[in-house]
Amino acid sequence: MRKLISLIILLLFTVYSFGQSITVKGVITDESSGDPLPGVNIVIKNSSVGTQTDFDGNYSLPNVSTGAVLVYSFVGYQTIEVTVKETTINVALKEDSQQLEEVVIVGYGKQKRKDVTGSVSLVNEETLDILKPIDATSALQGTTSGVAVNLSSGAPGAKINILIRGVSSNTNNQPLTIVDGYEGDLNSVNPNDIESITILKDAQAAIYGIKGANGVLLVTTKIGKKNKAPTVRYDIYTSVQNTARKLNYLNATEYALVLNEAYGASGQVLPFSNIKQLGLGTNWQDLLFNDALLTNQNISLSGGSENIKYYISASRTEQEGIIAKEKSNFIRNNIKLNLGVDISEKLNFSLISNYFTSASEGFDGSLLFNGLNYAPTFGQNQDDTNNFLGIEVINPLSLLKNTFGENKGNGIEGNFSLNYKPNDRLSITSRVGYKIYNEKQRSFTPIYDYGASKVYNKTQSSVYQFKSTSTRVNWETFATYSRTFADNHNTIFTLGTSVQNDLFDGIYATGFDVPNNSYAFADISLTNRQSEQRSFNTGNGDIRLTSFFGRAQYDYKGKYLFSGLIRRDGASVFAKDKRFDSFWSITTGWKISDENFLKDNKTISFLKLRASYGTLGNLVGDNLYRSLLNGEGTYVFDGNLVDGVAQGRLPNPQATWETAEKLDIGLDINFFEDRLTIVADYFEETRKDLLIQDFPVSGLLGSGSPGGANPTVNAGTSKNTGAELALNYKLVNTENASINLAYNVTYVKNNVTDVLGGAFVEGGSFGIGNLAPSRMEVGQPIGYFYGLVTEGIFQNQLEVTNHPSQAALGSSVTSPGDIRYKDINKDGVIDFNDRTNIGKPQADFYMGFNINAKYMNWDFSTYLYAELGKEMVRNFERFLPNVNKPNYYLGRWTGEGTSNSIPRLTNDATNNKLFSDFFVEDASFLRIQNIQIGYSFPEEYTNGLGLSKIRVYTSINNLFTLTKYTGFDPTVNGGAIGAGIDYGTYPSSRQFILGLNVTF
Amino acid sequence: MKKYNQKIKLGIIFITSLFVLNACSDDYLDDTKIYAEDSESYFNSESDYYNALVGAYDPLQSTFINVLMGEIASNNTLAGGESATDVPGYQQIDDMTHTPINEQLQNLWSWMYGGVNRAAYIIEFQDKVDFSGKAIYIAEARFLRAYYNFELVKWFGDIPIKPEGRFVLGDEKTIARSPKSEVYQLIEEDLKFAIANLSYTAAQIGRATKGSAQALLGKVYLFQDKFNEASVVLENVIQNGPYVLENDYNKIFEFSGENGSGSVFEVQYTDVEGAGFTCLQCSEGNVAVGYQGVRGYQGDLFTSGFSFNVPTQEMVDQFEAGDNRKDVAILDIDAWATSTGASYTTGFEHTGFFNRKYIPRKRSVNAAGDLNLTNPNNYRAIRYADVLLMAAEAFNRMTTPNDGKARTYLNMVRIRAFGNSSNNIASSGQALTDAIYHERRVELVGEGHHFFDLVRTGRGANIPGFTSGKNEVFPIPLEEIQFSQGNWSQNTGY
Repeated sequence: MRKLISLIILLLFTVYSFGQSITVKGVITDESSGDPLPGVNIVIKNSSVGTQTDFDGNYSLPNVSTGAVLVYSFVGYQTIEVTVKETTINVALKEDSQQLEEVVIVGYGKQKRKDVTGSVSLVNEETLDILKPIDATSALQGTTSGVAVNLSSGAPGAKINILIRGVSSNTNNQPLTIVDGYEGDLNSVNPNDIESITILKDAQAAIYGIKGANGVLLVTTKIGKKNKAPTVRYDIYTSVQNTARKLNYLNATEYALVLNEAYGASGQVLPFSNIKQLGLGTNWQDLLFNDALLTNQNISLSGGSENIKYYISASRTEQEGIIAKEKSNFIRNNIKLNLGVDISEKLNFSLISNYFTSASEGFDGSLLFNGLNYAPTFGQNQDDTNNFLGIEVINPLSLLKNTFGENKGNGIEGNFSLNYKPNDRLSITSRVGYKIYNEKQRSFTPIYDYGASKVYNKTQSSVYQFKSTSTRVNWETFATYSRTFADNHNTIFTLGTSVQNDLFDGIYATGFDVPNNSYAFADISLTNRQSEQRSFNTGNGDIRLTSFFGRAQYDYKGKYLFSGLIRRDGASVFAKDKRFDSFWSITTGWKISDENFLKDNKTISFLKLRASYGTLGNLVGDNLYRSLLNGEGTYVFDGNLVDGVAQGRLPNPQATWETAEKLDIGLDINFFEDRLTIVADYFEETRKDLLIQDFPVSGLLGSGSPGGANPTVNAGTSKNTGAELALNYKLVNTENASINLAYNVTYVKNNVTDVLGGAFVEGGSFGIGNLAPSRMEVGQPIGYFYGLVTEGIFQNQLEVTNHPSQAALGSSVTSPGDIRYKDINKDGVIDFNDRTNIGKPQADFYMGFNINAKYMNWDFSTYLYAELGKEMVRNFERFLPNVNKPNYYLGRWTGEGTSNSIPRLTNDATNNKLFSDFFVEDASFLRIQNIQIGYSFPEEYTNGLGLSKIRVYTSINNLFTLTKYTGFDPTVNGGAIGAGIDYGTYPSSRQFILGLNVTF
Repeated sequence: MKKYNQKIKLGIIFITSLFVLNACSDDYLDDTKIYAEDSESYFNSESDYYNALVGAYDPLQSTFINVLMGEIASNNTLAGGESATDVPGYQQIDDMTHTPINEQLQNLWSWMYGGVNRAAYIIEFQDKVDFSGKAIYIAEARFLRAYYNFELVKWFGDIPIKPEGRFVLGDEKTIARSPKSEVYQLIEEDLKFAIANLSYTAAQIGRATKGSAQALLGKVYLFQDKFNEASVVLENVIQNGPYVLENDYNKIFEFSGENGSGSVFEVQYTDVEGAGFTCLQCSEGNVAVGYQGVRGYQGDLFTSGFSFNVPTQEMVDQFEAGDNRKDVAILDIDAWATSTGASYTTGFEHTGFFNRKYIPRKRSVNAAGDLNLTNPNNYRAIRYADVLLMAAEAFNRMTTPNDGKARTYLNMVRIRAFGNSSNNIASSGQALTDAIYHERRVELVGEGHHFFDLVRTGRGANIPGFTSGKNEVFPIPLEEIQFSQGNWSQNTGY
């Protein structure tokens, strides 16, 4: 201490000893807005003498000698140094966007981007601004390496799946999403409120332990800036949407010809005698698809004073569906309030809250399936009364007319956070995060007769209602201590604890005989109270987690970086002796560009090598270790049904979470003063103890009983190996013009390395009565397609005779024109043992290419996304004689030499409809996700209106998709086993957008 | 300022206390129980035992497959159905070409073990709480376990058993197949307990009685050739039980005859709840009935079905002239169509005959669908006539035969069948044995017993395609052999 005092005295003395001493005064302002900046630090260089600006930006510093250098610094602004020549020095500070961008959140802490030793991607608000996603998840598609995004359906409000570095699990591949410190979901957050999304892709995410294996999305929402005048921003856009694609199906005339040919081939009476009058018939797709509107409005207010920063916003999105406009609409509202308060210099409080409501309508997933298969010869209002099309295909418009449902939700989420910094070294944060979500569903099934024997027929109306509340509370406390030893040894220690509780409470009920067969009366209270079928049920859940974690970071001169972390988690969902485990990781980095031999290199401006390794968990399932009494135990006593109890799914006391072991080796390299940046990574992940639901076990255990099910068993291991590369190039970067190019590509190869018992697990479905088409099997990627291989079409009887018999496939009929299957195992017989790998649903490569350009007041951007090396299964055809068919049947085999790919038409039982590569298509695609052009009005004009910015823009989302796939949408995918099977899913819409941003 | 610092200090203490708090995390993680009753925390009151018992009765409904497939296995019927590939498991068993890969045998195995486990669940927790009348619940549970185990031992021979309770994951690798004798011993113990604790009338129709347990025990003895023991327990039912033969044989199999005077044990079905093909064992209806119905039938009295399990001409010819049972047991569809104007279509292996006892009857418009799977016809599992014929066989075949008694019981059945005593049997010894065997076949045709009667009396070779020394039992499903990882070996010949 004495040393320090003498040092200060010495310094002061030094200052005094140079020239004349004066008092310097001035005003510090923000360069762009001209607003005064309070709280700016002014220090005499190489001293600890200094002051701060007051609330109006004024400062006064006495005893400054002329010739001394004053350093003006303020968080978020570029630091300026001015040599003292006169008594008044006014400074305009420039915002340092570069500096802000360089800080990334890495879980219970922040790091400078250049110091990060893990594999991290960042999507910032500019990207979200351009892409205008309804759900911020879709903005991750193609904008960042290592991330694949696919839709479960294109219906408004439908869930979007995120995959980070491929599929590893067949239960849950969704990354953990942390919004401002609480566990949330992207689909409840207004994309306009998001400042950045950080994606942790490697073992660095082990700080999230049992939930980190699928990667982590760290979402930061806007909270305003201190000492900044209030800024109001208003955005509105409106869009017309329509389907990006319709399928080529037969028109009425073609349909009748095709049917007649099939009937003729089977020696049956021809169904259509007068084809000429049929014309084009009804185009069901044209009737089902419609143009639909999408509007989004958003208003926000942000700013801050000396001790407070705030951000408030409200938004509303209304999206109509491109199918069934009145029955698939979606509305979401958000109100956001973020507030940061400095209670004292040492104590800081922040409040993050997001209130949201959503409403969507019921929608029958089989609508498009019916639209494709219903015959074009039927009139719009004509039901298939005579069961001409089989029992599963009905008039889609009748189905639409009789579909009623709604799903409403509202919730509030956020956190309260208290931060205490007793000194520069120590920081303690304690925060409570919460999410409360209420959901309400109602669906009504009216009495309707779709035609003889249709499975959709209802002779009794019913209404189903469901209400639930999910509550999540999380309390985390962590302390960070940072200290530098001997000038060069920098250390940061983090120690923390987390407790989380997820509660679920739901009540479900079904009532029958709705008055007047009308949706208006569809409420259980109005239904028949005497009905035996009336049913009520409740559901509840209670999942608890408790964790400790610690992290140590060390670097030497910022050049050699190391960190190690450990997290111990306990989860209530497992048996008592299986609840706790520890996860850990180590990361290391070497900033080669800081070494002397590269320091002043003109070409390479930054070079860092990094590596990470660690273990992470994937928490899936609940109550796996115990058996609930939710089986069916109903019997008949005294002639009446009596409900008893029985065990449901078999318990597995050994069940535990999935564990990932992740390795990442990466290289960050920047050229030409960071104009070109390259991030390259090689990664490996081994996912052990894969939890497989309904894992086949001995019948001895009783899972075959009514309502029983096989247990969920840790029964496999899969391995992902891959690499990713992200390039960013500032082609032009001048005051008036800029062009930025970005490209990223990810390669992932998945391989199952172990399945318990050496067997395989199968799933998915194809057609009706076919064996399961998807498998998880050792040596193959998860969910690969397992079926027969076609070898063209039999052209004549001789070919049939010379080929091994195909009778073991079920139908003994094999004629010229039928599919010839390959004898894979070469045993001289074609049977189901000749099935093999015929494709996989996950792409080998996914990539994005983006251009952002600005010239004067104009801006332009485009985003492209591609997936290569994946297949999808065309499963929207119902194989019945009279249903409508895709128009590829026009190119069918009709005699020797006519076709070697499309089989003949016949109503005979053939083996042509078995699951084979005939139904598996290359689904690689390239899509122009977005193309946009905008114009910002010049300042002279906006200032006159009292506004600071007006921008108008137009853009098109999902403009064009280049693909060989013949279904609606090659991006629609799904889970692991059974993924990539297209049942005629709702495609994503094409959107023509016109928008306006105003800031004042 | 001092005060302020105090507050901060308190805050720090509070925060550090969090770590301590978190240290009690074991209790915290354990506290979730209240939200879901699980299988191990159940059995806290009489109603819990009752509910679990109802759950243990439920798998009886899945025994439709035992009855249907058992009948198909015998020489009474052909598999039928739509085509040669309609339910391959049934077709192969009909032709005695079945292998360890048979989906239907796998179903039977897992559904019966489902029943065993549900009954064992109650037995496992029998001591948890006490209340008056608990012994009845335990007795019924043990009756049910005996019932399911008896089905398993009939079909598969040696089977794994676990007297103390339910099987758990891993048992398939450690619990060996017990020899038949040990299985029968467990069944006998269970039934003796049931007999001791049950009375002849149950609290509700459909629940097992003392008579049910005695009759089943008699049958179990018969299957082990323990004729002396069988004669005692069966005579006990006859003398002490409340059963009388229903005069009108036809009435027995109509809805009006359900749970009638001759019903010793009956599996209960209803059609008030819907069912689907994805879970046949979940149906509250008798699935076998729809499967056996006349294909494409339109006309009086009956409704359509899938034309499985069609009686052969040889079977039909077993009925003697004047036997009133023939037109009840067998529907001659051509004759019926001619006389009533009904129409139908023919399926695979069409013989012109159907199992009239168990084909779909016309029923209420409120019946829940799929109508093929929800037929409410109860299965008369143990009929008094069966008891009489078992008693007759026991007395005839015991160490010191009592053919007098045997004839009395046999002729009680025949008098009802013919409506007079002029067709009574007067023979003794082996001739009487043969007469009893013949009587069992015609009295019980279509009820799933004949295959097992043939096998237990050494007459399996009567069945076309039957290989002696192999087909007496069915193969353990291949998957089960694989799950056991070498613990269970396959039955001889498969």
